Amino acid sequence: MYKMSEYAFIAAILATGLALILYIAYALSGLRAARMQTAGGNVRTGVMGFSGGPRTAALGRYATILGWLGFAFLSAWLVFRTIATGHGPFANMYEFSVSFAWGVLGAYYWFERRYHQRMLGLFALPVALALMLYATTIPSTVEPLVPALQNNLLLSVHVAVAIVAYGSFTIAFAAALLFVIQPEGGRWGLPKPEILDDISYKAVVVGFPFLTAVIVLGAIWADVAWGRYWSWDPKETASLVTWLIYGAYLHARVVRNWRGRKAAYLLMLGFAATLFTYFGNLFFGGLHSYSGLG
Amino acid sequence: MTQQAQTGRLPADGPAPTDDVIRREAGFGIDDLLERLWDLLTSMKFGVIIILALAALGLVGTMVIQAPPGISADPAAKADWLNEVRPRYGGWTGIMDQLQVFTIFESIWFRALAALLTASLVACSAHRLPGLWKSATKPHVAIGEAFFTHAPQHEFIAVRGTSDEIRERVSRVLNKHRYRVVSEDDGVLHLYADKFRWGPFGTVIGHLSLVVILGGAIVGSMFGFRDSNFVVAEGSVAPVTSGEGISVGLVQFQDAYYTETGAPADYASEIVIYKDGTEVASQTIRVNEPLRYGGLSFYQSFYGPAAAMRVTDAAGNEVMADGVPLAWSDGDTGRRVGSFVIPGADLTVWVIGTAGTGDPIIAPGQMRVELYQGSQGTSVDAATIDQRTSAELAGYTFSFDREMQYTGLSVARDPGTPLIWLGSFLMIAGFVLVLMFPHRRVWGRLVVRSDGRGMLSLAGAGRRDVNSNTEFTDLVTDVRAAFTTPTDA
Repeated sequence: MYKMSEYAFIAAILATGLALILYIAYALSGLRAARMQTAGGNVRTGVMGFSGGPRTAALGRYATILGWLGFAFLSAWLVFRTIATGHGPFANMYEFSVSFAWGVLGAYYWFERRYHQRMLGLFALPVALALMLYATTIPSTVEPLVPALQNNLLLSVHVAVAIVAYGSFTIAFAAALLFVIQPEGGRWGLPKPEILDDISYKAVVVGFPFLTAVIVLGAIWADVAWGRYWSWDPKETASLVTWLIYGAYLHARVVRNWRGRKAAYLLMLGFAATLFTYFGNLFFGGLHSYSGLG
Repeated sequence: MTQQAQTGRLPADGPAPTDDVIRREAGFGIDDLLERLWDLLTSMKFGVIIILALAALGLVGTMVIQAPPGISADPAAKADWLNEVRPRYGGWTGIMDQLQVFTIFESIWFRALAALLTASLVACSAHRLPGLWKSATKPHVAIGEAFFTHAPQHEFIAVRGTSDEIRERVSRVLNKHRYRVVSEDDGVLHLYADKFRWGPFGTVIGHLSLVVILGGAIVGSMFGFRDSNFVVAEGSVAPVTSGEGISVGLVQFQDAYYTETGAPADYASEIVIYKDGTEVASQTIRVNEPLRYGGLSFYQSFYGPAAAMRVTDAAGNEVMADGVPLAWSDGDTGRRVGSFVIPGADLTVWVIGTAGTGDPIIAPGQMRVELYQGSQGTSVDAATIDQRTSAELAGYTFSFDREMQYTGLSVARDPGTPLIWLGSFLMIAGFVLVLMFPHRRVWGRLVVRSDGRGMLSLAGAGRRDVNSNTEFTDLVTDVRAAFTTPTDA
């Protein structure tokens, strides 16, 4: 099972990498088509307001299929690794990174199906790929659990919920990035700002309750294992900071004039906080130092 | 929370209107002041700023080393600790300490922001409740004609029949979709239908849940008890200082390691709880398996070496025989240190273990005993003792019987915890209400001519949102179907 999981992981990296190349090609062809259109060229206009010649559409389709393949391989990895270790694959930095990548791809394809905005993949896939490549630098050997982690139920649920939250926030970030890089009013064959704003908001609406659940489950576990529901452990605090930033975003979005660009900046800040929470235990120690990296 | 955008009753735009009022009246009466305060507290911008400020403090708390809890009560310990971190923060150490940066979560900044946030949460909830209540219980039924052409979702349906028949038929469709229907007739028939009218209250529940959680934290810190450094050696019993006559005996501590990696596999303490000397509970506690007794919880927290010591006085009477946990470590030498007091004498005994094989003074298998005058702290005598031997010091015989282990527990009673769980539950419940049961509203307007032909206008108040759109479309489709049944043809 361990061998199988390794093969699945490598296959997932290859599929996602190839998918990313196609997404980039797709974006470039879309950009070219947009240019030609502004220059008065004769290009058919696609449904979502940007041009989609037949070649562009085909590129996009293949990109999606390959990305799905990557997601399928990662799902296989998840199953094999769970069987090999006997717990959800969330116990050290290697397992958590690959699972995080799985969450990003899963969230991305959920949104792609719903909103048909392939350009999001341009920023979502690199995050997933980077997480997987990062995971290859960490030893993947299966190691038994230290005493604090010996709570199969809470370990699996606490971290599984975190993966959904982090995945959603990555999509919110990708949409915010697309929003911010285009000039006022939208250009370059990118999705319309209003659609991006809506995608970000929906992603946070999913991610925020899940992050809340992560923190609550963490508090329950902390109460069982460490004797207090809250210890201001750095990782705890970082997750609270992340929660506050996304909470601020949800409120700021309601304030007139704060929607759009300002909200997008808050989302980028929120994603930075998410990554800080995620990688935090590598440099600030504390009670969550289970990374397996010393 | 998440759905405030659609209610249109938001304190969103800050205190702008009141500014005008105040300027007009050109005075600062107490009413103006209160009004301004209210506007500030219910302002969304202000809320966002508080939240972000709290996030900034949290960030400081993760980046700057935080002093161990309780250290600020002990000036000497605090000075020691500050000296420890001084190399890292240099000349800033004093300033940072003044600004309470090292205890950021107990600082005046943090408390003030938490208080402001609470005030804002309560004010916003109070501000919103009447509107939510009104739209749930006394909805606006008769609505102007213009709305039906400007609403984000609207539809016109040609109908036939009498006003009552048509109302009946439309109501049946709406009821089938689990909408309740209210109608008013002022020459024109007005219809109002909604479902999940209590959904928006999830927002208020979600916000107030934070107040409950903060309340739980305050209750815990005011009425709770916590000893995170409770140590007891194997074979000994040590009292818990919570004033309930509880003491803890350690039968045995065991630590297990994985043979391949050497990583810890298990820490287990077999403990017995006594109340006023009587055994009331016992359990083998592990990291994820605490013992709970009468509101107190006992957690496996740390462990270390202990020394079984025996002291007899000159007459040969045993004055002390117990395990001494070597629970402190001497920062300079790395030696483990424990202490006890000889009953009835002004003597404090330090028991010092070896730092390892390279220790020039205390070899492995030895224990050093140092005697100090309790009241003055002056050194009286000292000796290094081999295992199972003894030494004469200050008229007493000190025996070091054997090495063993102690366990370190965290003992806590936190009466605020139920509030924390209640708050957490309410918060999740609030999300569920808001996200899964969004308030759906539909208005109808029916005008019937004397020849029995009429026009039914329907409009929804949903956002331009995929879900509420399909819901409205389905509804309209069903209403249309109800008027094109074969009997009508």
